[in-house]
Amino acid sequence: MENVLSVKGLKKSYGTQMAVAGIDFEVRPGEVFALIGPNGAGKTTTLRIIATLLTYSEGEIAFLNHDLRKEPDFVREKISYLPEEAGAYKNMKGMDYLRFMAAFYARTAEEEREFVERAAAITELKDRLSSKVGTYSKGMTRKILLARALMTRPVLAILDEPTSGLDVINALEVREIVRRYVKEGTSVLLSSHNMLEIEYLSDRVALIDKGRILDCGTPQALKDKHQAKNLEEVFRSSLR
Amino acid sequence: MKKFANLLKKEIRELVTLQLALSLAFTVILFSFIGQVSRKEVRKATGVQTISALDLDGSAASQGLLKGLESARFEIRRIEEKTRDEAIDLARTGESKLLLVIPAGFGDSLGSLTPGEIETYSYLRSFSLIGTRSQVVVRGVLSALNNVLSDKVLRDKLPGIDPGSLKNPIKSKDFVIVRDRMAEGSAGQVAGLVSSQSLLIPIILMMIIIYSSQMVISAVAMEKQNKTLETLLTVPIRRTSIITAKMLSAGLVGLISAGIYMVGMKSFLGGIGEEAAQAGAQGGAAIMRQLGLYFSTSGYLILGAAIFLAILVALALAMILGVLAEDFRSAQNMIMPLMFMVMIPYFISLFADINTLSLPLKIFFLAIPFTHPFLVSQNLYLGNYGMIFGGLVYMLVVFTGLVLFAARVFSTDKILTMKLRIGKKKTAVA
Repeated sequence: MENVLSVKGLKKSYGTQMAVAGIDFEVRPGEVFALIGPNGAGKTTTLRIIATLLTYSEGEIAFLNHDLRKEPDFVREKISYLPEEAGAYKNMKGMDYLRFMAAFYARTAEEEREFVERAAAITELKDRLSSKVGTYSKGMTRKILLARALMTRPVLAILDEPTSGLDVINALEVREIVRRYVKEGTSVLLSSHNMLEIEYLSDRVALIDKGRILDCGTPQALKDKHQAKNLEEVFRSSLR
Repeated sequence: MKKFANLLKKEIRELVTLQLALSLAFTVILFSFIGQVSRKEVRKATGVQTISALDLDGSAASQGLLKGLESARFEIRRIEEKTRDEAIDLARTGESKLLLVIPAGFGDSLGSLTPGEIETYSYLRSFSLIGTRSQVVVRGVLSALNNVLSDKVLRDKLPGIDPGSLKNPIKSKDFVIVRDRMAEGSAGQVAGLVSSQSLLIPIILMMIIIYSSQMVISAVAMEKQNKTLETLLTVPIRRTSIITAKMLSAGLVGLISAGIYMVGMKSFLGGIGEEAAQAGAQGGAAIMRQLGLYFSTSGYLILGAAIFLAILVALALAMILGVLAEDFRSAQNMIMPLMFMVMIPYFISLFADINTLSLPLKIFFLAIPFTHPFLVSQNLYLGNYGMIFGGLVYMLVVFTGLVLFAARVFSTDKILTMKLRIGKKKTAVA
């Protein structure tokens, strides 16, 4: 089966500063692939490049065998991106926001309705969807944003710190939602500082630091290789 | 197209707020109010003036003087059988702004051809323009008195000769020529009328440009501040559509605002013009019509086109400035360069004639796209259509260039990394 995403020799610099210094990885169908690493390691830059937000200096990115640089519009049709510090339009009601976003992806009114209903079910916000987004708590906002990202059943969902700033219960709910959608066929590329979250969600993990991938594999394989109890110890071992 | 309509609808809904509706309603009410006040003032200035008069002389000469004043558009309220002090107190409680006292012996002194002295008392009831108009009344009274008296003496001494011809043996008949039209009147009078008619256009234009630009800069800055821009940039819609939707929505709202402002201004100027026409004694409006110095429908359309193009240029510039802003607060500062670009030609158009400036200065001002709409009204009056259409084309070219640049910025990393942070790092690595 062909890879959903294939990244080879990816480099990105901001002026003289190298943010991504040549990385290779691939995301397989129905897989959760995680990038873990410290702040400034190049995780978000990598995700932004794949989300077609940033251009890249060198390397090749193929999404479903389509060149990302040449066909960004094709990629945008099939992916969804949830930035770490995303927001929704505060003056819009929750339901209006979902309709607004669904209209960009749906080909028919029927499909648009389907997307919105799916998103409403993901959020579990019910009547609160008729309130303005500006009145939502952080957890509610994150849920509506995640619902927006998953409602179209994208081929690849790019999630940057999906549970960032959420309390334990909200974070757990978000992880369960992600897991459920992966079972339904969506591949996920995510980044997180939370090693427990990564271990719970990910099929494969890439350890990234200073723009380079230090190691890559399943959480269990990495733990075995580094003789570590958890991914935190794996990461520390990789840095040595 | 459906995606673009979806985005445009969202942008318009974000711009058309209750605050905007209130602001527009307030402006129209303000124009209507100013128009009414101006109309009232013009009526007062050209209407019959009321003065009180105490005749202590009671001679035929003093009676003739008061009758002469009545024929010179003064309504005389005669105070009978009072002393000077009583008359001063009496007039104080009335509406008159002037009391005229003709002392005893006035007729005798005129008979002996020595200057007769009369007393005038001005009642300064307020320091507003209306209150100080009594000074104008005094001058009018004295002028009318001298005319009446000198005419009377000349008629008595030289019967059969027109006193007017004796006093002014040389008369000038003034004509003003604008393009191929000619009318009787003074150049100063025409220039004053044109200036008063054109005065509001730059002010309104400045308001619209600054207001529309503020909308666009804020729209982009708010997308950044609310962290919605990144998501918007990854949805399947072209970047140029995002720019166009933002500019079109602000342009549409700006155009509707401009239309409302123009309707208000036209009714205001129309009100003044109507009153000026009624003040036919001075013949101001008649001269303006004769010289073709008024806006026809096509004139208003050209003016509207110039204003709309200026708004578009401002919007495109605002779009680029919005990208440089980090958040809503810094967006407020970003409007400053644009304001200066609008204000400089505005003040120049108020105090100087751009056509008479030195060549380098003229080029400098004409290179600022916002100078052109300020010149449109004058050029329309003078029929300088080359200058008008040249300005319109120039604004269109500048607009196209700016839009292309904005599209370039939106299509690259710059939309996320370009920030104007004086004294700080320009980009940040995620």
